[in-house]
Amino acid sequence: MIEVRGLKKSIRNGSRVVEILRGIDLVIPRGQFAAIMGASGSGKSTLLGLLAGLDSPSEGEVILDGITISAMEEDKLAEVRGRRIGFVFQSYQLIPTLTALENVMLPYELNVRGDARKKAQPLLESVGLGNRLHHYPVQLSGGEQQRVALARAFVLEPPVVLADEPTGNLDSVNGQHVLALLGERQRESQTTLVLVTHDPQIADRADRRIVLKDGLVISDGTNRPGGRALGAEPVNAV
Amino acid sequence: MSEAEALQRQALPWATAGKIAWRELRAGKTKFFFVLLSVAVGVAALTGVRGFSQSFQRALLLQARSIMAGDLSARMFRQATPEEQKQLEALRPEGVRETVVTETVSMAMVEGDPVPLLVSLKAVNPQEYPFYGTVVLNPAGNLRDVLNNNTVVVDDNLLVRLRTHIGAQLKIGGRWFRIAAVIEKEPDRMTAGVGLGPRVMITRQAMDETGLLQPGSRATERYLFALSDKLKVADVRARIEKILPDAQVTDFRETSPALTQGVDHATGLLSLICLVAMVLGAIGVGMAMRAHLQQRIEILAIMKSIGARSADILRIYLLQTLFLGTAGALIGVVLGLGVEYAFPSLLGKLLPLRPEIRLPLNPVLAALGTGILTTVLFCLPPLLDVRTVRPNLVLRRMVESGGGGLSGWWGWLKEHKLQMASIVVILAGLGGIAAALSDSWLVGKWFAVCLTGLLVFILGLSAATLRGLRAFLSRTRLHLHSVLRHGLANLYRPGNQSAAVLAALGAGVMLILSVFLMQRSIVNALHEDVKPDTPNVFLIDMSTEELPGIRAELKKQPGVIGDLEAVPIVAARVESIDGTPVDDLKLKNYPKRMLQSATLSWSEAVPTGTKLAEGKWWTAAAHGSDTAPSAPHDLAVVDHVAKRLNLKLGSQLTFVAGETKIPVTVTAIYKIVGEHAFARSEFVLPQGLLENQPVVWYGDIHTRPSAIPAIERALFASYPTVTVINIADILTTIQGVVDQITIVIRFLAGFSILSGLIILASSVASTRFRRMREVVVLKTLGATRNRIATVFSVEFLVLGLLAGAVGALFANLLSRILLHRMDVVFQRDVRGTVVAVVGTAVLAVATGWVASFRILGQKPLEVLREE
Repeated sequence: MIEVRGLKKSIRNGSRVVEILRGIDLVIPRGQFAAIMGASGSGKSTLLGLLAGLDSPSEGEVILDGITISAMEEDKLAEVRGRRIGFVFQSYQLIPTLTALENVMLPYELNVRGDARKKAQPLLESVGLGNRLHHYPVQLSGGEQQRVALARAFVLEPPVVLADEPTGNLDSVNGQHVLALLGERQRESQTTLVLVTHDPQIADRADRRIVLKDGLVISDGTNRPGGRALGAEPVNAV
Repeated sequence: MSEAEALQRQALPWATAGKIAWRELRAGKTKFFFVLLSVAVGVAALTGVRGFSQSFQRALLLQARSIMAGDLSARMFRQATPEEQKQLEALRPEGVRETVVTETVSMAMVEGDPVPLLVSLKAVNPQEYPFYGTVVLNPAGNLRDVLNNNTVVVDDNLLVRLRTHIGAQLKIGGRWFRIAAVIEKEPDRMTAGVGLGPRVMITRQAMDETGLLQPGSRATERYLFALSDKLKVADVRARIEKILPDAQVTDFRETSPALTQGVDHATGLLSLICLVAMVLGAIGVGMAMRAHLQQRIEILAIMKSIGARSADILRIYLLQTLFLGTAGALIGVVLGLGVEYAFPSLLGKLLPLRPEIRLPLNPVLAALGTGILTTVLFCLPPLLDVRTVRPNLVLRRMVESGGGGLSGWWGWLKEHKLQMASIVVILAGLGGIAAALSDSWLVGKWFAVCLTGLLVFILGLSAATLRGLRAFLSRTRLHLHSVLRHGLANLYRPGNQSAAVLAALGAGVMLILSVFLMQRSIVNALHEDVKPDTPNVFLIDMSTEELPGIRAELKKQPGVIGDLEAVPIVAARVESIDGTPVDDLKLKNYPKRMLQSATLSWSEAVPTGTKLAEGKWWTAAAHGSDTAPSAPHDLAVVDHVAKRLNLKLGSQLTFVAGETKIPVTVTAIYKIVGEHAFARSEFVLPQGLLENQPVVWYGDIHTRPSAIPAIERALFASYPTVTVINIADILTTIQGVVDQITIVIRFLAGFSILSGLIILASSVASTRFRRMREVVVLKTLGATRNRIATVFSVEFLVLGLLAGAVGALFANLLSRILLHRMDVVFQRDVRGTVVAVVGTAVLAVATGWVASFRILGQKPLEVLREE
């Protein structure tokens, strides 16, 4: 479960202080698929970064399965990220000098002892890349790279997977394929999935839709069966 | 909890870290070329210069040893007692060989000529003497074959004066000997002392058979020692001084001040060159790794986002650094060995002194170790920066920057405390390497101090300049041409490496210019000490009456260059020192008998070939007519005698010359800097004080070596009692050594400067990847290549000029301090300094252009697609 309390984030740009998140409160239960939407600059990616412990908030707390990660020191956070969170990025973010298989093995090698290949290879095969194991990212198409990233995100079976516009760089066919795989894996392993997207159709597939504007949640509601979002009042008044 | 979670958390395995490191190296071959180049050139310079300079120094020291014919000499007026002899023999198993040279004067005569000649007799054991150098004979032969108990070898001067020839019989004491050869070169002629009359060399057994060595005879025993490589001269010297307490012990470095100073200066400069090579290489590596890690920043963020800790990432890049350091060092060692073996051939005929090149295992290991260690040390700050990479870079490029003012600085310092500590580690490491590498502690110490000063100063200066620029541009930016404005603004934009480039270039300029300035001053000083007109013939025992005639005779001789330098010598004895009679003095390693035959001289100014070390020389006016011998007078003492007799400024001595007591006070201490006749005097008094005493004159002239036999014959014809000593061959040796030192240090300094320039250029070039994105954006907006190149030129011109100016300032400071400590006059070189400043700017701009050439031609989409 992810719990967010009074989350604020501001950054200094020269002498100017820019407030990106202005106070967010959220609870995302285990196994839920939540989509975060909003216009550019609304604070989506910043919120995702804070949920993942990639950055520290200016104020407020992020609690992951009962552990407050917002005040943790960097190496502890790395450990949390490694074992509890999987990541899928818009621009894949694979290590260019490692093969597809090695990229998927890496989180395993970084975080646990054991035979990483035994875990990584079946995952890659399950996303249809059994014949691309030893290819470098540069030798793979965008869709294939994103599938590698997907396999990497799930290799440690983390309780939470965070995805930042995972189909943003893909054509519609590849996008659909990646989304299908993501949904399948999430359902299979009962992972909490938080996905940032601009695309309402993608958000429609989620259990819940959270809309941000100017650093605040302006809408938070569960989707009706059939894909239409339920309307909801903003949790935080502007 | 998943199965994976149940497993134990661990650090990234070394094998995986190694695999990632290796893959990155393979992927970025061009980029790492600069790192390898920097390490390789630095290590090559280190191996080549250090290995060659060690071989060269060994060869030089061998020459210096040959002037004494040993490593150490102990001079006494008696033979060693059986107990002393036993103790000396006990040193032999430790690697100390010993032979005795006995010197005395005697009369010698030839068959059919009843008039005997006073000769300077030297008895040696030809199986052992000389330990270093060679006695060159004519007809050519080996001393151990030619000299036996029935033969003698003699000075050419003896043949002239006795009108005899090789093969004739010569009577010495009660025995006849056959003259077997003429001595063309006697290696220790200068240290053997000025004998009376021409040299006759004889075996020790033969001398015993002549019956000349009776108790009380004026024989000098010179014990020569040769030490094995592993022994330290100073240690053995101390032991010999203990065994032979009344012997005057000297080591080979004291025999020729010009030569040993030359070796010392060369050692100092070569040490500096080695250190410079090392630090320049390290700067190059540091810069390249910094640029590399800045490029990898997004990869680092990805790794952190999937759970890598800073320690895991450090492991990868430490392995990479170690690999680069090792590979670069290995390439450098191979290159360096090639350079070392090529040096003698490259220098060709300019370097007749052929150093024996051994496989320099120690320099090779030291260079390998130094290459790896400096690579790791200089990569520490950029490696530690890995810790500050924030993983949210995977989501957005950072825009956050530290605030201004004190809190901003404090925050920066807090965040970078490990980097600060690493700088301390680097400086300590450099100090350690400098101490280990440098044969000169002085050079190592001042080098580290100046490098630290420069780094602190240059980082402060770059911060101040960048702030100043920012303030300047905020007021004037709209009035400036856009190219200039953009170029200047580039200097302080986020992520720019201006401070690092400034530090690297500044330190490089300081080091390179220091080498240039020092070699120039040292070469000048060497040639000042050993001028081509240094005397090479000494004339002994001229009377005051003969002096004008001899001057006139020498003027007539075509081979003589310049005038005769004549030095008056008055024999006297020291009666007391500071009120203590000589008999009651407790002297260590100074035979009291030498005080019975002190040589006094007079001069109204610091004599030619000497240099004032302490005190003040008197003036003629100060003494006026007050030359009454009873009044205390000024005295100048040569430094080595002052040291042995424990004389200081203000010490009082009483000399007795003939029947006259002469009380004097030490007011000056001088040292010998050249081979002149004054080098033979130990005590110098004001003129007039000794004029009434019996005076003999010693003189020196410089002649063409080929003219010396003619001069000897002409002088003998008119002045048969005057002894002529020819040291032309020894001076030729010294002059040759000095010339070779000059060639070698110029060559090595040039090599070091060239390799330094390559490394600096690669440091500037390593920043080119940073500019790739900017080039692309500018091109997309319609900027031409020329315009972009001009923008970069403004940036590099400012960096080059600033770094050049600061580096030149510190180079002048460092070389001034080092030269002052080495007792060498610093030669200001305004032209060299200006060339260095302008040259740095040109180098920075040119390298910037060359390095940017490829990225200027890159199609924007290629880069934008990768974004």
